[in-house]
Amino acid sequence: MRSRHLAIVGDVVYPAVALAIGLLCWWAVAALGNVPSFVLPSPTAVGSQLLENSALYAENAIRTLEKVVYGGSVGVLAGFVLAVLVAYLPWFRTAVYPSLVAVRVLPKLAIAPLLLIYLGTGTTTAVVFIALITFFPLVLNTAAGLDRASSAHHELLRSVDAGFLERVWFVDLPYALPDVFAGLKQSVTLAVVGAVVAEWVIADDGLGFLVLIGSENVRPDVMLAALVVLLLEGIALYGGIVLAQRGVQQWLGFGSTGRR
Amino acid sequence: MISLEDVTVAFDGFTAISNVDLRVEQGEFVTIVGPSGCGKTTLLRTIGGLEEPTSGRVRIDGRSPEAAQTNADIGFVFQQHTLFPWKSALENVTFLRKTAGNAPEADAARALLRSMGLEGFEDARPKELSGGMKQRVSIARALHLDADVLLMDEPFGELDEITRDELGVEIRDLWRRERKTVVFVTHSVPEAVFLADRCLVMCGQPGRIEATFDVDLPEPREEDVFGTRSFQEQVAQVRQTLHENYA
Ligand SMILES: Nc1ncnc2c1ncn2[C@@H]1O[C@H](COP(=O)(O)OP(=O)(O)O)[C@@H](O)[C@H]1O
Ligand SMILES: [Mg+2]
Repeated sequence: MRSRHLAIVGDVVYPAVALAIGLLCWWAVAALGNVPSFVLPSPTAVGSQLLENSALYAENAIRTLEKVVYGGSVGVLAGFVLAVLVAYLPWFRTAVYPSLVAVRVLPKLAIAPLLLIYLGTGTTTAVVFIALITFFPLVLNTAAGLDRASSAHHELLRSVDAGFLERVWFVDLPYALPDVFAGLKQSVTLAVVGAVVAEWVIADDGLGFLVLIGSENVRPDVMLAALVVLLLEGIALYGGIVLAQRGVQQWLGFGSTGRR
Repeated sequence: MISLEDVTVAFDGFTAISNVDLRVEQGEFVTIVGPSGCGKTTLLRTIGGLEEPTSGRVRIDGRSPEAAQTNADIGFVFQQHTLFPWKSALENVTFLRKTAGNAPEADAARALLRSMGLEGFEDARPKELSGGMKQRVSIARALHLDADVLLMDEPFGELDEITRDELGVEIRDLWRRERKTVVFVTHSVPEAVFLADRCLVMCGQPGRIEATFDVDLPEPREEDVFGTRSFQEQVAQVRQTLHENYA
């Protein structure tokens, strides 16, 4: 019990100390190293920039979050449906799967300018863009996951005349869950990257846009403040998915580790 | 009662078993022994409705295997335990019965696990169980279905010899109490003789039933049967038949 207690303290204390040292180094270089603030503002300068304009950052954080959530939801849902089709319709798999795998190597951020031509600027275009890039990790992971159950498991259900839907619900989906969540984690990370790129290229609001404005006005404090908020937002989204996975898998009985 | 009439099963022109006739009486324990690839699994799967006969007819209590499946009258035990890793031992046992459309009875399932020596492991996940324990759970799962017919395909195939013997004694003992109709496939001759009322020898390419032995051993069958002269003589007979027919 005691060592477990210590381990938990260590899990919190060590990273906190590391973070503090990092911030201290930043502050030392900025404040004591005589670096001009338009090159590297000190952490305190970034902090006060954040506090003094908290409404601005909150407003733009919400704009970015909207794009991530809307685009991500569309992409993830579409990806899930496509994965189901790939997993259960052999002709569909044969037709589509090779293209999906091939497109995986395409740097999908590069399609942003193309969307700009087709759909113009604005939030809708950004949402479409994010949907497109979050779609791929989910499709590939989920399709692989739905294939994981062995045919022996399927035959066990067949031996009591269980139907296709029971097989999917009781066998295939639980086996696929860790893959679905692995896909979601990749998707959410990509969605945040995608939102920032979209705000540079397509939209004119959000944290990515603040970074752009900061850059044009040589205001690294604005850029860093926006990045800090972006970081927190990304961590919150990723953490939400980790918690959701834990909840779902615990409910199913996977155990708290979430491992199979 | 299981009956097969002139059953042939072919896969894309490759005939796995041909012209098999077989009757297994209600409450009889039949074992099928034969070398790998002679069609034992195919025969068992055909009885259980997982494989369609290319020609011939399979009947379980006068109905088709599909009808028996629908009625939860067929309990399969496969060589792999096929337990779900996210379910506890108890949940794995009740799950199949539930899926078959019958109300699971947690107390009956607990009692089954206890009778299979798994008391205290009801809440354990498969990864916390040994190979033998996992196979016990999957046998309990088939029994909890309360199917009339138990079809077992080398259920002890991946276990060590001591565990095999122990489980063999338990299975025979369970059968004495429950009187299910059992078809048990194995490639171990001593196992086939120890468990059986009747032991069928399968051979050939395509597979067919080459010989039938009515096993004569004292009841209840305990470990000491393995050492008896009568047991060893019957094992030797079956083994000789197998070698005579080994292509
Ligand atoms: N689904 C299948 N498709 C094609 N060939 C099969 C199939 N199932 C079994 N076979 C073939 O049928 C023969 C008998 O197999 P099997 O019934 O598994 O034998 P056993 O269980 O006695 O080892 C083997 O040659 C095997 O390759
Ligand atoms: Mg086999």
